[in-house]
Amino acid sequence: MKAELVAESGSFRDPSGRVYELGGRIIRGIDGATAEDFEKLSREKFFIRGMEKGGIIPSTQIVSEEFSGEDFSGNVSWAGFLEHEKIPFISYPYEWSFSMLRDAALLQLGILEDAFNAGWMMKDATPYNIQWRGAKPVFIDTPSFLPRMKGEQWVSYRQFCMLFLTPLMLKGYLDINHTDILRANLDGLTPPEAACYFRGLSRFRRGVLSHIFFPATVERSIAKRERDAVPVQKRKGVIQSDAMVLGLIQQMKRLVTSINRPIGHTDWSKYELTHSYEDMDFKEKEAFVNVHSGSRHRSMVWDIGCNTGHFSKIVAKFSETVIAIDGDHDAVEQLYLRESAQENSNILPLNLNLANLSPAQGWAGSERKAFDKRGRPELVLCLALIHHMRISANIPCALFLDWLSSLKSEAIIEFVDRSDEMVIKLLANKKEQYDDYSLEIFERQVRERFEVIASQDLKGGKRRIYMLRPK
Amino acid sequence: MNNPIFAIVMLFSAFLVYPEMAHAYVDPGSGSVIVTTILGLVAAIGYTIRKYFYRIRRFFKKSDKSEHEPDES
Repeated sequence: MKAELVAESGSFRDPSGRVYELGGRIIRGIDGATAEDFEKLSREKFFIRGMEKGGIIPSTQIVSEEFSGEDFSGNVSWAGFLEHEKIPFISYPYEWSFSMLRDAALLQLGILEDAFNAGWMMKDATPYNIQWRGAKPVFIDTPSFLPRMKGEQWVSYRQFCMLFLTPLMLKGYLDINHTDILRANLDGLTPPEAACYFRGLSRFRRGVLSHIFFPATVERSIAKRERDAVPVQKRKGVIQSDAMVLGLIQQMKRLVTSINRPIGHTDWSKYELTHSYEDMDFKEKEAFVNVHSGSRHRSMVWDIGCNTGHFSKIVAKFSETVIAIDGDHDAVEQLYLRESAQENSNILPLNLNLANLSPAQGWAGSERKAFDKRGRPELVLCLALIHHMRISANIPCALFLDWLSSLKSEAIIEFVDRSDEMVIKLLANKKEQYDDYSLEIFERQVRERFEVIASQDLKGGKRRIYMLRPK
Repeated sequence: MNNPIFAIVMLFSAFLVYPEMAHAYVDPGSGSVIVTTILGLVAAIGYTIRKYFYRIRRFFKKSDKSEHEPDES
């Protein structure tokens, strides 16, 4: 049976091509000009080196009679096709920690600088063109490269500022969550919008005047002058020397590198030191996870509520890819910094509010996919999470288990009973005492939805851990 | 931006600016040409100074080639 070409819902913005999935393969249809450019590009040393070092997605031009000339994207027949290596799990910049976004920005700038030195320009600068293999960023959008025209400016400078620089400055300088900003503004913040956030002395932090307030002034003056004018003034490109463009790119690299944000002591960022387990109990929990996650090799595991990733690390030994998710930015940041320092990490840390996972959004509600529609895990870890979902986020256990069972995956879940000091702490100042939250009710709800393969008491019966299989 | 003259110009710009939202027909992004030209000019000065600084330093310390020299292009 012929595999079906399925258009990737988020790849329509660039008219020069479209990405498709064909039986697990990633195929990109490209127009004639892009095909010609790719032929030249594939001979460039910087491009070959980028693919070898892992910063650029391995891509090859393919000739396939199977779909050559076929009309499978509206009214467009593609002149050529590329095949890209498949990324295990697509993530979005509104799910990345500060250092992830910064490393993605530095990868983008590094590739741009190399491309520029070889006579190329990149037509866009969006973090959506960067994905992750484990904790290493990789650039995935090969049609972004164009031969640079003489005197051409850094054409994607504004987009870089809107989607990379401004969110980094907001988090690094003002501690405003860049993830919320990026989730709400898929094209990033315009300079006038960004300027609203910087008040008082924060305007004088490095790069704010030059890359936010100055462009905001220019844009405001253009808007004021041309709002009622027809036709608008055509702005011809000024010839920009190589030193101007390269100087600006290198200056941007130094600026991005200089934006730092120390990890604070949040609820979860020091989990390995502050968890409530005695050593022996903790080892029993580790052993349970080790035995049941190690029962067979799995392609994808999700660790929901991963903290700093202690258990992600255990399951990573038996999995191709682990998606480690937590709502605590600094815990995810710590996990990312640890994993990105390793050569071959297979853990992708993501910062998501567990009670409000990333939705489907963008054009027609499908440009950016919902978190739980981007891949199916074979195993889900929910360790010491359920009491936070029930008591902190007010999500009934039955609803959480409904969602978990909808993934059709095995699960290791830990129930934290009312006698546990962490639940006592959560309930201490609450009027609502969540009488439906008990081991007996939870276990009944679990058995209605899953087959219990194994279970074990932890912390002298204050907690219970289960290995579940979907019914 | 480390250049003090440029920082002063930016400082005055900062006090003049106030946010303006969606413009239906005008593309404020078209001002990028102006922005990158001015920022590029300042960056080019820094780039050129660094380039010659590293060349001179290399001349005096031939054996100690700096990793930070900007690419010559």
